[in-house]
Amino acid sequence: MLTDEQIERYSRHIMLKEVGGKGQKKLFDGKVMMIGAGGLGSPIALYLAAAGVGTIGIADADVVDLSNLQRQIAHHTRDIGTPKVESAKAKMTAMNPDVTVNTYETWVNAANVREIIAGYDFVIDGTDNFAAKFVINDACVLAGKPYSHGGILQFDGQTITVQPGESACYRCIFPTPPPKDAIPTCSRAGVIGVLPGVIGTIQATEAVKFLLGKGELLTGRLLTYNALRMKFREVPIRKNPRCPICGDNPTITDLVDELDAMNVCDIQNNK
Amino acid sequence: MQITVKLFATFRAGRFAVEPRTYPPGTPIVEVIRELDIPEAQIGMIMLNNRHAEPEQELHEGDNLSLFPLVGGG
Repeated sequence: MLTDEQIERYSRHIMLKEVGGKGQKKLFDGKVMMIGAGGLGSPIALYLAAAGVGTIGIADADVVDLSNLQRQIAHHTRDIGTPKVESAKAKMTAMNPDVTVNTYETWVNAANVREIIAGYDFVIDGTDNFAAKFVINDACVLAGKPYSHGGILQFDGQTITVQPGESACYRCIFPTPPPKDAIPTCSRAGVIGVLPGVIGTIQATEAVKFLLGKGELLTGRLLTYNALRMKFREVPIRKNPRCPICGDNPTITDLVDELDAMNVCDIQNNK
Repeated sequence: MQITVKLFATFRAGRFAVEPRTYPPGTPIVEVIRELDIPEAQIGMIMLNNRHAEPEQELHEGDNLSLFPLVGGG
């Protein structure tokens, strides 16, 4: 039952035939777990809260740094030194007191990811390292939980939605992570500030569509985006029969950390 | 045989965006990657004629090969 204030707040949703009062109720009842509260996580957090997604989990062990603020729009100058999950939660609940935000001030790893995602309907990967991206993929595939992958660097971004068992997963495309330091991070190679806004907003759109049960998800196709040339491309991706986790003869049957893909800080933090 | 190689994002730096290139028939994709001096660990996605492909796949006359780097930031 929506209050008068909620009817007003969500009126632009409710007037859409794909949403309506029923759809808004689905969003209220929806539970989305977002991992990473940085560049991708910022627009995801703000749009999910604004949309009235009832329960939003947010995991990140980092604290806000001055160099984050050029792109991580959920964090403000006064938040420097504050845990990112607390900073993001404050903006989300200030924007929309209807939503419940559960914070997890931790890095995800093989030991904790299963429990973190367990109570949620949809997961969003907004992390900035391959070790996390692979363990999130594996946990979601093994749990049969749909999720959105996102990645950004410099002027390029990519995203794909995974429906485990039905569509290609991250390992169908990238079977193993690259060795650590093979691929530069945003902190080493730079990133144009608006880029995570584009990719993160697409990821939030996927979560909202999933909860509504409307439209077509970004499954079976990797969307790539180049901001300099302003080009979007779609690469069709089939389920890979040789995928190590969702293929015909999976070799990964339990969660393990990809230690080779972790940086030293992650390994220390996971101890 | 002649194929068209397209490079994306950081792979273009010091190389090219699109170029017709000549190789012996049956050359596997991985040979092209080596010849272009792209570290294999940096290879994200390989597309052959707009389909996802594996490094060991052999190339044929007129193929379109696209190489994308891994993108793992957030």
